[in-house]
Amino acid sequence: MTPALELDAIEGGYEPGLPILRGASVSVAPGEIVALLGPNGAGKSTLVKAAAGLVPIWSGRVRLAGRDITGLPAHRMVHEGLGFVPQTENVFANLSVLENLQLAAALIARQRRGSLEKMFSLFPDLDRQRKLPAGRLSGGQRQMLAVARALVASPSVLMLDEPSAGLSPKLVGVVFERLRAVRDTGVTILLVEQNVKAALALADRAVVLVEGRERLEGAARDLADDPRMAALYLGHAA
Amino acid sequence: MLQLIADGLVVGSVIALGAVGLTLTYSILRFANFGQGEFMTWGAYLAVSALAVVLAATGAGVMEPLGPFSFGWQLIVAMILAAALTAVLALLVDWLLFRRLRRGNAITLVIASFGAALALRNLVQFLYGTLPEYYTREIQIAIRLVPRDVLGGLRITPDQMLVIGLTLVLMLALQGLLTRTTLGRAMRATAQNPALARVAGVDVEGVIRATWVIGAALAAVAGVLAGVVGQVRPGLGFELLLPLFAAAILGGIGSVRGAVVGGYIVGLAESLSVPLVGAEYRAATAFVVLIGILLLRPTGLFGERA
Repeated sequence: MTPALELDAIEGGYEPGLPILRGASVSVAPGEIVALLGPNGAGKSTLVKAAAGLVPIWSGRVRLAGRDITGLPAHRMVHEGLGFVPQTENVFANLSVLENLQLAAALIARQRRGSLEKMFSLFPDLDRQRKLPAGRLSGGQRQMLAVARALVASPSVLMLDEPSAGLSPKLVGVVFERLRAVRDTGVTILLVEQNVKAALALADRAVVLVEGRERLEGAARDLADDPRMAALYLGHAA
Repeated sequence: MLQLIADGLVVGSVIALGAVGLTLTYSILRFANFGQGEFMTWGAYLAVSALAVVLAATGAGVMEPLGPFSFGWQLIVAMILAAALTAVLALLVDWLLFRRLRRGNAITLVIASFGAALALRNLVQFLYGTLPEYYTREIQIAIRLVPRDVLGGLRITPDQMLVIGLTLVLMLALQGLLTRTTLGRAMRATAQNPALARVAGVDVEGVIRATWVIGAALAAVAGVLAGVVGQVRPGLGFELLLPLFAAAILGGIGSVRGAVVGGYIVGLAESLSVPLVGAEYRAATAFVVLIGILLLRPTGLFGERA
């Protein structure tokens, strides 16, 4: 089966000559949730940013359902069906909740555009805050809005960079439960996470990245008890 | 007193129109454009040329005044053409200069804008000379709106009323564009977080082009209006540059509403200070007000960030 998203031997970084990604490859099957794990500085966030068009890719390919989308400008990625939710500052704080969603909807072709009402039914918390500036939402609500903003463009694949960052354990549960509901609507998810336990509980599969390339990969439930995980996080070879 | 307020509102209107472009450029392109004043000058001079073309094309020869105003419909057409041409000029300057420097730091762009301003000012002098130009030689009689015994009375020309009215209409239209259209929301989104705007599907380069077009077109209108109530000179925009910055900073750099309010505060401060400190110090009073407001509110009246 053609992967929904394929990151193939990606090399890249912010500064020429200072690679962060050293041939990273990750493949996500349609309808799958894949967690991208690894210690700090492994290049997890850089990899999804590179796929989203925000970090230069020096070599390697990004394929979306078999289509090569490597090097497209970030705003074109959205139109191709690749959504991205950054870790921080992921909503437009001075726009209202409704304006955040209206902007995302208006920029996308009508036939691809998801209904705002569908978003409000998926995230009922936001429905009650339509007119509120997004900057005044709680941390959890902001994450919901960031996800809803990306979903309005009806992506086939959604990449999220640490959606649990800064949230209480209870809110992490709420956000992850919503992500499961998002997957149930047919969206494939690639999730970068530091919260290994929560990510493995949500994901079908996980890939562990170390020093810019994948070092371990497997079913999430198997990796949860795999001693190699701890070794990689502690800096030992797997 | 009333007369000073009316004079301040006329000057403030021109400053507000120019300052809006300055604040838009700052918030979206993230640098202070010292070339903004020159777009006003170019707008005013391009309208002189456009007016000559329109008069020649219609075979009118001389402009017949429109109603109570000192100018005819031909100047309105010329102003629209000048706004469009100034927008093209701004896009050209961006393409030749700023686009290449965008990945560098803001100070490089600021210095480049100094250079662009110098080049534009000298080019306008080379093309049009240094003598003042006028759109019309019609002499307007000011209308007395308030008798002399009420707060000193108020006389104002229809042209001056048009300057204030047109500024308010344009500012309301801009506010509508920013809050009710996709382009406006995309501009606000880009101003706040360009990287997020990109992943939300905003074509940031397109937004930057729209910002130049809007900022330069408003500057051109400001230049034409300054020419309507005064004269068109090569130093027109340069002399207004510091008041433009004062207005934008006073209102809170990046805030359109702030630039408009700031423009009127600067205009009124300049005008109202004349009887107190004399005309030679009028420009300084705007900066006294600016310092006072920044001491109380460092981000300006409507500024959100330090």
